[in-house]
Amino acid sequence: MSLLRRFGGDHPYLTAFTLVELVFLILPSIIILVVSLGSGEIISFPPTELSLKWYASLLDQSEYVSPFINSVVVATFCTAISIPIGIVTALGLNRYDIRFEDGIQIYLLLPFTVPLVVSGFIFLIIFGRLGWIGQLWAVGLGLTIINIPFMIWSVASSVNAFDPTLEDAARSLGAEEIQTFFKVTLPSLMPGVISGALLMFMLALNEFIVSLIITVTSTETLPVAIYGAIRGNISPQVAAVSSIYVVVAIVAIIVADRLVGLERFLHT
Amino acid sequence: MSIREGLRYGSLRAKWRVVDALIAAKERVPVHFEDISDRFGYALIIPGILLVSFLAVGMVLLAWYSVLTYDTVEIIIYEYTLGNWEELVDTGAFYTVFFRTILYSAVVTVGCVALAIPYAYLVVRTDRTLFRYLLLFGLFVPFFTGVIIRAYGWLIILGKNGLLSWVLSALSLPSMSFIGTPVAVFVGLLQYLLPFAVLMLTPAIASIDPDLERAARNCGASQWQTFRHVVLPLARPGITAATIVAFTICMANYSIPDLLGGGTISFVANFIYNQVFGTLNYPFAAVLSLALVAVASSFVLIVFKIYGTGTLGVEVDEA
Repeated sequence: MSLLRRFGGDHPYLTAFTLVELVFLILPSIIILVVSLGSGEIISFPPTELSLKWYASLLDQSEYVSPFINSVVVATFCTAISIPIGIVTALGLNRYDIRFEDGIQIYLLLPFTVPLVVSGFIFLIIFGRLGWIGQLWAVGLGLTIINIPFMIWSVASSVNAFDPTLEDAARSLGAEEIQTFFKVTLPSLMPGVISGALLMFMLALNEFIVSLIITVTSTETLPVAIYGAIRGNISPQVAAVSSIYVVVAIVAIIVADRLVGLERFLHT
Repeated sequence: MSIREGLRYGSLRAKWRVVDALIAAKERVPVHFEDISDRFGYALIIPGILLVSFLAVGMVLLAWYSVLTYDTVEIIIYEYTLGNWEELVDTGAFYTVFFRTILYSAVVTVGCVALAIPYAYLVVRTDRTLFRYLLLFGLFVPFFTGVIIRAYGWLIILGKNGLLSWVLSALSLPSMSFIGTPVAVFVGLLQYLLPFAVLMLTPAIASIDPDLERAARNCGASQWQTFRHVVLPLARPGITAATIVAFTICMANYSIPDLLGGGTISFVANFIYNQVFGTLNYPFAAVLSLALVAVASSFVLIVFKIYGTGTLGVEVDEA
């Protein structure tokens, strides 16, 4: 109890309860790391001996290599096109007098309102009619559409925090409009852009149900490949692939904390 | 001049050239940007509008598909019929699946918000840096790890020869697999949605003035009474937002019922997926999709009507 009080400060019971929740939250990710280090043919507890053999076996297994590359390409594509779109949309909505602004804001939340499985079905129909199914960039486009509100929100919070008189100051010191934008406006929007970009990248890297519906074998992304593998068997090799995600998530958190601070993600 | 300085100087010059070229190009364009500034605002939002229009057009397409005729060979015949909607009313499975989805989503949402409140409260209020980082870590590791990976984690924990069986047998209790039981689906969904709920709650809790809590304590309220009568009411916008987000995401989930429900506990999303890829019945899948959107949005509207829009940004009504 004294330990709990020392650790939990003013709220010892709440702290104890929250620590249980913390374990509940990270257990599924941690267990994958643990299991992937086992050497047995099947998953069992406790792992008999530690080995990296399942990781080694990944390199000569092409069934995960190309989905992995696809996922990285798709996530990069999403991030790359959502950055300019997020910036101009957030600037347009916050800086200019636009009629029906509330209506447009609600419209831009459509990707969150439409359930993901329905969005996937819609893309299957539209992309199918346009002959885009089987194109990797179309997968990227689909994932950009469903996640774009995150980018807009994130940049908009930076636009709201930005003092427009700084631009006037730059201009009165002789800066041209374009120079003002690149030297003053854009740098002060960077925190929002960085956190939005990180979110877009991670969400696209992990996206599953829309990808499951709109990908074919050649455009299959990693979560879809892992899903197929889980349904087949649950050999520790799947755990080795999956643990890549856990490691990437941890790296992303560290990067996010270094670049903009994790607190930022709590306020968007 | 060293190589590094040379490179820096070179890149700086290249940058100036680009900016100069842009300015020159802008001045050659025969419009005055000052005059069109408002119209320029509309131009800025066009890309975002176009991107989302895929979904807006898609919803219209779904409405159209829902009145087309399904054929086992041709898949779709362009003849109008209300048969798909009649099928919806007649299909017993529809009621079972929708009822199950709503029931699970409701229970999971209540559990999720209840667990999220203390977590979000401590993330905001704790003055211990290490503990706070631990909590943020616990929040973002699952948030940045996709649903498939987490469902797989639960398969390892709850499955045959899994962590839980091992713990149970170590306690000399009968070990069992939970996969395919409602418990597994419930636990999986709860863990999936908890980070979303916490993220929706933290802004609301951060905006509560800590002095109000101190005032309540000074007036003799216990910690619980302070929480119940000061924190909870003031956190209501966040609670509303967390409820809506958790419920709507839960209603649309595919992978957790599929992987942890062992094929026996399917949700609406699984039902739609099977129509699309099993029987290729696009018209009926369109009907089901519209029904899902209708159920989810009427829930959101009811919550908005009763509790206001919470911290979910835009004002929908006069609030």
